[in-house]
Amino acid sequence: MSVKYVPVQWNPNKWLYDAIMLAAVAAFLWVFLYLSPKHDPAINAQIHNARAFGACAFMMLTVILCIGPLARLDRRFLPLLYNRRHFGVMTALVALTHAGFVINWYFAFSSINKYVGLLSANTSIGQVAGFPFELFGLFALVCLLLLAATSHDFWLKFLTPPVWKRLHYLIYAAYFAVVGHVALGILQDQRDHTVTALFLGGAAIVVVLHVTAWLSAESEASEASGTWAKVAPTAAFREGYARVTRLPNGDRVAVFLMDGQLSAISNACAHQNGPLGEGKIIDCLVTCPWHGFQYDVRSGRSPAPFTEKVPTYRLRLVNGTVEVHTDANPPGTYVDPLPLPTMQTEVVA
Amino acid sequence: MPIAEVIVTAAQAWLWIGAVVALVFLTIGMDRIDADARGAYVFRPLLVPGILLIWPLVLWRWWQIEAQSSPWAARYRAVRASYGLAVIAMSLGIIAIVALGLTARQSWPAGIAPIQLSDGTNE
Repeated sequence: MSVKYVPVQWNPNKWLYDAIMLAAVAAFLWVFLYLSPKHDPAINAQIHNARAFGACAFMMLTVILCIGPLARLDRRFLPLLYNRRHFGVMTALVALTHAGFVINWYFAFSSINKYVGLLSANTSIGQVAGFPFELFGLFALVCLLLLAATSHDFWLKFLTPPVWKRLHYLIYAAYFAVVGHVALGILQDQRDHTVTALFLGGAAIVVVLHVTAWLSAESEASEASGTWAKVAPTAAFREGYARVTRLPNGDRVAVFLMDGQLSAISNACAHQNGPLGEGKIIDCLVTCPWHGFQYDVRSGRSPAPFTEKVPTYRLRLVNGTVEVHTDANPPGTYVDPLPLPTMQTEVVA
Repeated sequence: MPIAEVIVTAAQAWLWIGAVVALVFLTIGMDRIDADARGAYVFRPLLVPGILLIWPLVLWRWWQIEAQSSPWAARYRAVRASYGLAVIAMSLGIIAIVALGLTARQSWPAGIAPIQLSDGTNE
C-alpha cells in the first residue's frame, strides 16, 4: 500500500516555483521579441518567433543542467532540484514551439510532406559548413519530449529507478545535440554577438559545473578494505541525523544515529530514490525529504499499513571508526543497531 | 521510396502501435501490476505520450512484473557510476562541436552574392 497517483502533487512551493519559471520565460520571450534589436532585417515574424523560442529553450536547458551539479556542490541549491521536472516539461514545450515555427515556415509550402521535407532538404552530412544542423535539433527535441513524457511519478516506479535514470541520462546527449544545432546552425550566421556570448558562456558553465561536481563526487568515495568500507569516526555522528557514504560500487548508504546507536539503510527511498540521508529521525522513523515516505532505520520498513522497504546494511566499529559492509541486505531485513560506547555513556548519564 | 519517407512512415507506424499498447496497458495492464493505480484514473491520460514513445520498454516491464522476474537488488542499484562517463562524453562533444562551428564560421562582406556549397537534390 502506498499513495494513489494524482496528475500533479501540488504544494505551495511548486506553485511558487512554477510561477517564477513562467514569469521568467515570458520575460525572456518579450525581451527577445520586442526589446532586442533586429540585426537581420530580412527575417519575418515567423522566423523571429522561431529564434526567440529556440534561444529560450537553449537557456532553459542550460539552467536545468546547472541545477544538478550546483545542488551537489552546495546544498542551498537543493530547493531548485526538487521541482526540476516541471522545468523540464516546460522546456520541452518551448522547444516544440520552436520546432513548430520552423517546420511550418521553412517546410510547409511544398508539395511534399513537411516532415519528409525536413529530413530530405539537406543531406550534406559530410561537410561542416552547410551541415544539416536540423538533425541535431530533431534528435534533441525527441529526447526532451521523451524525458517530459516519462516525468510522472508512475514512470519511476514502473520502470524502476535505475532504468528510469539511465533513460533520463539522455539529457546529456540532448544538450550536446542542442549545442551542435546552434553551433552549426544559427552561429554560422550570427551577427548579434550578445546571443553568441550567451551561447558560448552557457555551454561553458554547464561543462565546468558538471566536471567539478563529478570530480567532487569521486573524491568523496569511501575507502574500502575487502568487504567493509569506512564511514566516519564515531565523533562525527549527530543524534537524529545521518552521515551518507558512497560505497566503491556507487551505492550510497545513510548511517543514522538514534538513541546512541547506529543503523544503516540505503540512501535511496523506495518511492523515487529521494535522499533519505537528508531526513531527520522522529519516533524511530526517518522521513524522506522529497515526498514524506517514512522508514524504520533498523529494519528499512515503512510503518504499517504502508509496505515500502529499503535495503539495510551491517555496521561495525574498528579503532573508533564506523565501517559498513558493502553488501546490502534484502529490503526490510532487521539489523541490530550498533551501540556507540561514548554515546551510550552520555545517554545513560 | 526515399529514405526520408521511410523514416517518416516508420515513425507513424511506431506511434500507432504505441497507441494500441497505451489503450491496452492503461485499461487492463496498469491495474494488474500497480496497486497504487487502482481507482486512480485522472492521471492516466498523462502517461499516453510516454507509452507512444517507449512502448517496447512498457511491454518489457509489464512482462517482467507479471512474471516477477526482476531481482530485488536491481531496483536499488545506483547508476551514479555512469555519471562520470556521461559528463566526459558530453563535455568533449560540446568542446569539439563548438570548435568545429567556430572554425567553419565565415565573415562575409555586406551584400555579397550567395554561393552554393553543394549540388541541390533536385538537379
